Amino acid sequence: MEWVVFTVLAVWLLVSAGGVLFAKHPVHVVLFFLSALLAMAALFLSLGAELLAGIQLLIYAAAIVVFYVLVITTVPWEKLKEFEGAYRRELLFGLPVALMAFGAFAYLIAKGEFAAPKGQVTDAVRELAKTLFTSYLFPFEVASLILLVAMIGAILLGRREG
Amino acid sequence: MSLEKAYLLLSVALFLIGLLGVMIRKNLVTILISTELMLNGINLAFATADKVLGGVEGQIFAFFVLTVAAAEVAVGLGLVVAIFRLKGYEGSSELTHMRDR
Repeated sequence: MEWVVFTVLAVWLLVSAGGVLFAKHPVHVVLFFLSALLAMAALFLSLGAELLAGIQLLIYAAAIVVFYVLVITTVPWEKLKEFEGAYRRELLFGLPVALMAFGAFAYLIAKGEFAAPKGQVTDAVRELAKTLFTSYLFPFEVASLILLVAMIGAILLGRREG
Repeated sequence: MSLEKAYLLLSVALFLIGLLGVMIRKNLVTILISTELMLNGINLAFATADKVLGGVEGQIFAFFVLTVAAAEVAVGLGLVVAIFRLKGYEGSSELTHMRDR
């Protein structure tokens, strides 16, 4: 049963990722990306990471995709027909490199052994909140600072000169 | 092959698809979307490690990856809009101002 769920989600995810790679129009690319994000959220659910799945839906599938669509609407794409799709020569050279890298990773993963489990988590969300707000409190605060700096940077970049 | 190894293989495949997208796409916006695919592949590997090892640290690092992804989207799309407004183009092959020639 787990294998059936995994296979369906993996095929969905890989088809969507292929669409991101090869779709022509940027809006189609964003739609394929949204489909890939939904498949990712389902994969997180099947892995038992419920909070991660919810945050994936909230931040990625809502906020970030809307941001991309907003930027695409501000740019007149009709004038930029020559910048759709992919470079042929780079695809010719990049695809064997990616396939070889995947082969090497697959060999390592198939041959490797997992480390011994260090415990059993029954309530993942409760455990995660406890760890995040005790052991990882300082990185959490630094993450908020990163978001603040990014917000200021985006405002500065988007400002009209003069 | 166990199910967890299949999850890890899927995350590697997603990362490499994103990497290929960064290499071959012509448009700056689609290049940014490909980097998001790479970050998603990493998050899948973190969640899988959590399931194997029975901890929660992987999910916490996945949250930090999400934070960095949000910051990257804000700054990256701001850069794309600024480049388009100042120079009037969106193709990655035209951005050669920092090349030495």
